[in-house]
Amino acid sequence: MKGLIYSESAQRAKELMSFLKDQMELDLALPEAEAVQASSNGASRVYAIYGDVYEPFAVASAVVSVFDGHDYLFVPATNFGRQVAPIAAQLIKAEMESEIFYFRPEQDGAIVRRYFYGGKTLLEEKTGAKVFTVMTGLAQPAQQGSPSEVIRVEAKGGLSRVLQISGKQKASADITKADIIVSVGRGLGKKEGLELVRQLASVLGAEVAGSRPVCSDLHWLDEDRQVGLTGKRVRPRVYVALGISGQIQHIVGMRDSKVVIAVNKDKTAPIFQECDYGIVGDIYEVVPKLIEKLK
Amino acid sequence: MYVALNILVFLKAIPEDVKEDPRTHGPTVEGVKLKMDDISRNAVEEAIRLKEKHGGRATGITFGSDAATLVMKEALAMGLDEGVLIKGYAGNNPSLTASVLAERVSRMQWDLLMFGFSSADSYTAQVPPMVSYMLKRPLIGNAVSLRVEGKTVKGVSSYEDYNVAYEAEMPAVISVAQEINTPRIPTLLQIMAASKKPLSVEQAQAQSARTLQVLGHTFPMSQRKRIIFEDTNKGVEEVAAVLRQVLGK
Repeated sequence: MKGLIYSESAQRAKELMSFLKDQMELDLALPEAEAVQASSNGASRVYAIYGDVYEPFAVASAVVSVFDGHDYLFVPATNFGRQVAPIAAQLIKAEMESEIFYFRPEQDGAIVRRYFYGGKTLLEEKTGAKVFTVMTGLAQPAQQGSPSEVIRVEAKGGLSRVLQISGKQKASADITKADIIVSVGRGLGKKEGLELVRQLASVLGAEVAGSRPVCSDLHWLDEDRQVGLTGKRVRPRVYVALGISGQIQHIVGMRDSKVVIAVNKDKTAPIFQECDYGIVGDIYEVVPKLIEKLK
Repeated sequence: MYVALNILVFLKAIPEDVKEDPRTHGPTVEGVKLKMDDISRNAVEEAIRLKEKHGGRATGITFGSDAATLVMKEALAMGLDEGVLIKGYAGNNPSLTASVLAERVSRMQWDLLMFGFSSADSYTAQVPPMVSYMLKRPLIGNAVSLRVEGKTVKGVSSYEDYNVAYEAEMPAVISVAQEINTPRIPTLLQIMAASKKPLSVEQAQAQSARTLQVLGHTFPMSQRKRIIFEDTNKGVEEVAAVLRQVLGK
């Protein structure tokens, strides 16, 4: 059995390799600029894609051109991967499943698990699909391993033109690797409140993260610190949720945390169903006391 | 240059909530009210803004059932000119939905086909790229900004590590990110006026050939301790102790 992973980044390709490596032999396809960073981690082959590497049709065509001989195509569920995978599935006339976090090969298909209804429910399915987008951050990146044979593949035939690539502000830290996270929600009330949150984070040696409203809507924190369905999935030892109501879209991003502590004014907030320890109270009253106790 | 745009926007009606089936204890959406998916709302808003700027028409299309009528009326109230309700939706099946939509719009004149990037219920993000593939038209996905210039559309796609600015000849397929805009809330007057806007209902004759078999559909069980303190001081005391233990202090 043999799988092909396409990823636009070496990091996520290696995570997905770890996630799948006990189940099958793996080849990688990734942009040439990323290929060298993933060419000695145990993949049999690395297809280094050059040319129109940011255009979803061109990339899907390049990936499909090397799919022969593979049983499955896996793509990390990033915003670009989510465009490439459905086009690739159409090109090879295969069925596709999205956002899986569990995979077991079966005769003529696979058993997969994914969340449904925005993360409120869990589906287990037997599928004949060959193409899958896989949740990111499910495993640690693959370690150094045997070197791969590197083969160049051209991405061409895109339907749109790429005008410009612009970097995002680089995160000062990667919250998916944080051991302890202090996360804030709309309940913070004002941007200035972040000072207090940072104090607690500093006492705990934690990274600061936030819910969608705080990161994407209010921009109090950078988008790459967003936890949830449309943000990052984190799994720290301790997740402290401050003023986060606990909508399912947020829970999906932090439900694998080991210990969850929540502070919220609203006793009925759903976060109290998803925490180990909860304090009903104003964060501006609770957090200073907590800092005091921990100093 | 003035270009009147012909915009089609796909919107999805999704269940407001998921209930527990009293017999099976599994999830069910039977009898649950439908609402417009939030990301569809962003797509509708963007379609209306482009129409307002460039002139032209914006038409809403949904694949669903009669229950989606109210959702379509809301989109008309927001400012779409007309709606098409395609019945025959039989559950989440992105490639089937894509083929129904692609077939329908291949019989229409349009410049932009707009979607939300990924719906909040099934969250597969498959339909826009599949429709784009089926129609062999360019895709600008997860767009956080859009601009029409002459016969081309320019958009910036938001990705995890960088943003990419694309340019495509119209007709083009666009999926929008939530960040692109803040959708308007229709006024009472607009809601009343919407009932006079044309809404056509048709039936899709689509057959699914999918091999999918559901083995289980459950509410994930949370194994949390749920020790909640309403006394702040006691809570702080206990939580500090837990944190100290975890930190090894």
